[in-house]
Amino acid sequence: MPDNVTRRGLITSTLITGSFLVLGERLTLTPAEATELGFTSDVLSREQLNAIETVAEHIVPGSHRAGIAAYIDSQLNAGENSLLIGKYLGVDTSGQIAFYENLADNLVAALKTEQSVQEIVGALWGDALGTWEGPPSSYMLFVLRADALDVTYGTPEGFEALGIPYMAHIMPETPW
Amino acid sequence: MVKKKQDVIIVGAGAAGLMLAARLAEGGQSVTILEAGAERQLGDLVSSQIWARKLKWAEPAVSESGDHKIGHAFNAGSGTGGSAIHHYGVWLRMHEGDFSLHKDHGVGLNWPLGYADLTPHYDRVQAEVGLSGDAEQERWRPPGAPYPMPPLPLFAQARVLAKGFENTARHTSPLPLAINSEPYQGRKSCQYDGWCDAGCPTGALGNPLVTWLPRALAAGVHIEHNARVSRVIRSAANPSHIESVEYLQRGIRKTLSAARIIIAAFTVQSVRILLSSATAQHGAPGNHSDKLGRYLMTHPAATVFGLFEEETYPHQGVSAGQLLSHDEYDDKAAAGGFGSSQWMIGHAIKPHDLLGYGTGRPDISGPELEPWLKRAARHLGNMTLVCEDIALPENRITLSDKVDSDGIPYAHTHHDLAPNAAARWTQRMAEGEEIMRAAGAQEVWSGPRIGMHIMGGAVMGDDPAQSVTDRNGRVHETDNLYVAGPALFPSSGAVNPTFTLSALASHQAEHLLATP
Ligand SMILES: Cc1cc2nc3c(=O)[nH]c(=O)nc-3n(C[C@H](O)[C@H](O)[C@H](O)COP(=O)(O)OP(=O)(O)OC[C@H]3O[C@@H](n4cnc5c(N)ncnc54)[C@H](O)[C@@H]3O)c2cc1C
Ligand code: SF4
Repeated sequence: MPDNVTRRGLITSTLITGSFLVLGERLTLTPAEATELGFTSDVLSREQLNAIETVAEHIVPGSHRAGIAAYIDSQLNAGENSLLIGKYLGVDTSGQIAFYENLADNLVAALKTEQSVQEIVGALWGDALGTWEGPPSSYMLFVLRADALDVTYGTPEGFEALGIPYMAHIMPETPW
Repeated sequence: MVKKKQDVIIVGAGAAGLMLAARLAEGGQSVTILEAGAERQLGDLVSSQIWARKLKWAEPAVSESGDHKIGHAFNAGSGTGGSAIHHYGVWLRMHEGDFSLHKDHGVGLNWPLGYADLTPHYDRVQAEVGLSGDAEQERWRPPGAPYPMPPLPLFAQARVLAKGFENTARHTSPLPLAINSEPYQGRKSCQYDGWCDAGCPTGALGNPLVTWLPRALAAGVHIEHNARVSRVIRSAANPSHIESVEYLQRGIRKTLSAARIIIAAFTVQSVRILLSSATAQHGAPGNHSDKLGRYLMTHPAATVFGLFEEETYPHQGVSAGQLLSHDEYDDKAAAGGFGSSQWMIGHAIKPHDLLGYGTGRPDISGPELEPWLKRAARHLGNMTLVCEDIALPENRITLSDKVDSDGIPYAHTHHDLAPNAAARWTQRMAEGEEIMRAAGAQEVWSGPRIGMHIMGGAVMGDDPAQSVTDRNGRVHETDNLYVAGPALFPSSGAVNPTFTLSALASHQAEHLLATP
């Protein structure tokens, strides 16, 4: 191990941050902080992000406060360097914005109906939402749930909430 | 601009490329590596599953079809160290029967080499990289020198899962790993924190940044990063001689010449480079018999999970797992399907990310989720099945109609799993769930079938009509173009490929140094 890389020496910060626009100023914040400060979205509309937040919070409670909407918006803005789970699932980074826009638009439409969020989520898992367009809704919900798990539990704070020691060699501390 | 001629150009600074570079440069040759990705250092290996995605092959994407896709986005990396920069360090030898699949069973292909040809290279490489294991307990292990380090210690999860194997009259041994169980050659021992998938920055895991890179640099190897090779160029006077490689660096097209050129850009990109090298006058090097790109393989794999009453603390240990079982490995023709299989048992695992336990249970959500995750964080067991894939000519890498921003065609891969290999996988997964129950799991479930590792596409063989390269990796009908890495494999076995591709690269280095 190089002398400058020791576990204890590196546990300096638990922040996993991104670049967010807040009141016209670009700040380096965690998705949770950006959410709390009411960030201005770069890629998706507020309506789209609200729909994502509502459904994500229903399946992964705590993901709203952890900043799921801010996380997705900032990663979509990162282009080729996006770290959204879609990267592993073969969603070409050039097609990611379209993928999440499609997801969000479908959720916006579904949330405008009379159905409860619970009913909508049940129909999404069963690919049974008549208005759904694009890739199967169960697949897209799987992707959203995985992103929500990342932002809620994939951080030192998330591990702590589950009682897991993080034990990092190098803490994630610079912007994603 | 054509620069000064080197002895060797190696395309790709991954597991095979850096090893060959170190060996050839130590043997006195001048070596330049052209690496498509960024320069990476140990300090880049941040402990976060999310960060780890930065290490993956980003662009250009590879399109995929078939009923068992190769999962290029997950399986391939880029930058110094290649995919191996965050590989898990499971280093297993292929078994003797893996080299003669067609001869013994009439399916797939034979290797032009046998296990005995690679044994001295397995032994040499394991001493250089440093492996931990227990050769005696590994009752199925083919002959070879014992491991230079004792095995890693077992944690609670492995002790619980081992009971399932015992109770079903099966055997386990410590998993052999390129991870230090004690200090080795100036590198420290493991801390068992399970961050290997994000890359091990301590040097405990033998990734190429700590094994071959320091040796390569000390021997004078020059590495050009962000240098994406687009094609190799034949000599106009002698078309069987490859004159130079063309690459793009920060938007500028350049060429570099060398006496020998080795393509070690991992399976899909290596084949892409060769296919892209066809001209109006000459076909792609190695494609004289329409074999280039064919026999693409990926191990069918999946993970079985269980929840136990006992505490397992699945965050402890290493990503690779702690125990191995090869009980059924050598009986490839056993009833129920075809092919070898292995279990890697007791992975250190995280709650999120593609392989995380929370992600794999979409049925658990809402208020139930956090209590369930908390329970899993203390009581989960998991183990991964790896089965053999059979080399089929229809499974292949081709060039797509789409071109990337440099005007070079994307790669497309097609892979279907042979029905008898799929049957073996189904059979073993059912057994895996039984083993999990026999270990005492109260709840058992399985993840989906995935493609793990990518092999074939530029297979080696003695018959130029049936293969792309000869037994030394030299592309048939060329005198100085070589391929290195798992693209050469004519069969996959059911073991992780990096030990074998390294032994093969060692064999190639010996040949190249002996025939200057
Ligand atoms: C998460 C994970 C865990 C793994 N765990 C294990 C394990 O436990 N055991 C095991 O045996 N294997 C494991 N593997 C597989 C192992 O990493 C690969 O088999 C191995 O790295 C392949 O070696 P390679 O040299 O052929 O390719 P790589 O190591 O991928 O290196 C290829 C290099 O070529 C570069 N390149 C590609 N195209 C070009 C181009 N056009 N021009 C220039 N450069 C180019 C790439 O950027 C890359 O750096 C794992 C892989 C992953 C992703
Ligand atoms: S668990 Fe061991 S091998 Fe894995 S990252 Fe930590 S020190 Fe490295």
